[in-house]
Amino acid sequence: MSEQTIAPTPAPQRDKEKPMPQTPTPAGASTDIEQLEETTYTASRENWVLWGIRVCSVVVVLALWEVVGRQVDPLYMSYPSEIAQAAVEITRNGELPRAMGSSARTLTTGFAIAGVIGVLFGLLLGRYRRVEAAFDWMVNALYATPLVALIPLVILWFGLEFKAKLVIVVLMAVFPILINTASGVRDVNAALIDVGRAFVANERQIFTKVVMPAALPYIMTGLRLGIGRAIIGMVVAEFFTGLSGLGALVITYGNAFRTDAMLVPVLVLMVLGVGLTALLRWTESRIAPWKKGGDD
Amino acid sequence: MTHSSLLVAQQGPVKLGVHGVSKAYRLPDARGSGGIQQVLKDVSFDIRENEIVSLIGESGCGKTTLLRIVHGLIQRDRGDITVDGSVVSGPGADRGIVFQQPSLLPWRTARRNVEFGLEIAGTPRSRRRERAAELLELIGLSRFADRYYPHQLSGGMQQRVGLARALAIDPEVLLMDEPFSALDAQTREVLQAELLRIHGATKMTVLFVTHDLDEAVYLSDRIVVLAAHPGRVKEIVEVPFERPRLDLPTLRTTPEFAALRTHIWNLIRPAEQTAPSCSRGEIHV
Repeated sequence: MSEQTIAPTPAPQRDKEKPMPQTPTPAGASTDIEQLEETTYTASRENWVLWGIRVCSVVVVLALWEVVGRQVDPLYMSYPSEIAQAAVEITRNGELPRAMGSSARTLTTGFAIAGVIGVLFGLLLGRYRRVEAAFDWMVNALYATPLVALIPLVILWFGLEFKAKLVIVVLMAVFPILINTASGVRDVNAALIDVGRAFVANERQIFTKVVMPAALPYIMTGLRLGIGRAIIGMVVAEFFTGLSGLGALVITYGNAFRTDAMLVPVLVLMVLGVGLTALLRWTESRIAPWKKGGDD
Repeated sequence: MTHSSLLVAQQGPVKLGVHGVSKAYRLPDARGSGGIQQVLKDVSFDIRENEIVSLIGESGCGKTTLLRIVHGLIQRDRGDITVDGSVVSGPGADRGIVFQQPSLLPWRTARRNVEFGLEIAGTPRSRRRERAAELLELIGLSRFADRYYPHQLSGGMQQRVGLARALAIDPEVLLMDEPFSALDAQTREVLQAELLRIHGATKMTVLFVTHDLDEAVYLSDRIVVLAAHPGRVKEIVEVPFERPRLDLPTLRTTPEFAALRTHIWNLIRPAEQTAPSCSRGEIHV
């Protein structure tokens, strides 16, 4: 259930050895770097082509949707231009901004709490075998459980308001963060820990100067996977506890057979998911420049 | 020809003492119970101040274990390690180590890697920077100090940074664990010459593990030849060449070099023919 989720996208590298041409003098290194730039140049031209194809694909699909959508009963399907009009309408009357504000509050607070708990607990779980033995079964069991099934219980305990929504978001988002952090800590190259010990670092220094930086890319991967689940948790919470936010808009317009307006919050959620994931992916690459070649 | 006749009396106090060091490992076997493998048995030798001493022997038969025991990363079963006469156990800032793989921290630039040991020791930032700049200058990488992460440096450059990192803490003894064995031949020779140059400039004391005969003869004042099964001192060979030395290609053509090399080769070879491979060494159940 979890291999796919755990694997960080820049594949975890156990060994930092690169088969680089070895040069006896520092001067030789500039040759390596020039070669690197040349490769990047060719790659970037290929990139432009790929992006061109991507943009064409978007345009074609939207056009088809527009044409086909107009033939279908508006109860079952809407089309881009109508959705755009609905978006303008519910933005003007303030419904969409209000819903977005409410959802954003649930999402950011919940994700922040999940991040703190997941990273701290993951660090402990990955570093200390005894903590791991005490809790790993629980973490694995909860991660494997469809947590949506616990919502009735969450409602009994926390009611229908903001607190219950937070709990749902945290429950959904915390496990990928925790599990990735823990596996990042476990995967730290033993040779690097030896370096710490060789220079007489104490446990705290080994933790802060070796283990944590080495696990950082994994932590970022965990956060990226976590944000996706946090968004799902947020919508689910808005459906099943007190109706609010973007989830409420979907339900309300769905019940009113306003398919065009219903699709607006869905699209907002889509953009949100793509945007936040891309943002975290970008941060991931900035934060661990050694993970890719020649980021200079 | 006996090489003790070539002995050049070394002056200077003993810097590092290895006294009767023994080490055994429990080997897991197929049934999970396992036997005991004696890796080192009663190994003793001294290194005097400013000497370079090499440990050489069949591969995998205790020389790296011995170096790690001297450093304190591995515990010894018996015997003592002394630095300047006092017994040490566990890693200490009086011993710096260069690993076989550079093992640089990939998230730190060259300069920040050199500073690592000083940072651990709590040296103030300005002093750290100063010391790192000196060492990067010494190893010829000043230009690469802040702009590059380890993965952007060649293997030879990475190992230079590893050397600078070990030197930064001003150790009494520098321990080197086959530091050049992962490099190509050309880079290796350049770094060997560099090491001798730096040794000349800093007057440091070095314990150097290698399996390369030429390297041992070229670098060392003395060579501790280890026999295997269990690892023990077979002979300590004096290397008479004056410092500063000729470059390796030239030195290699001299008859003295060839004689010394053959002598050590003969010390190592018989063990290779009679003993099985190291992993199946002496097993007492």
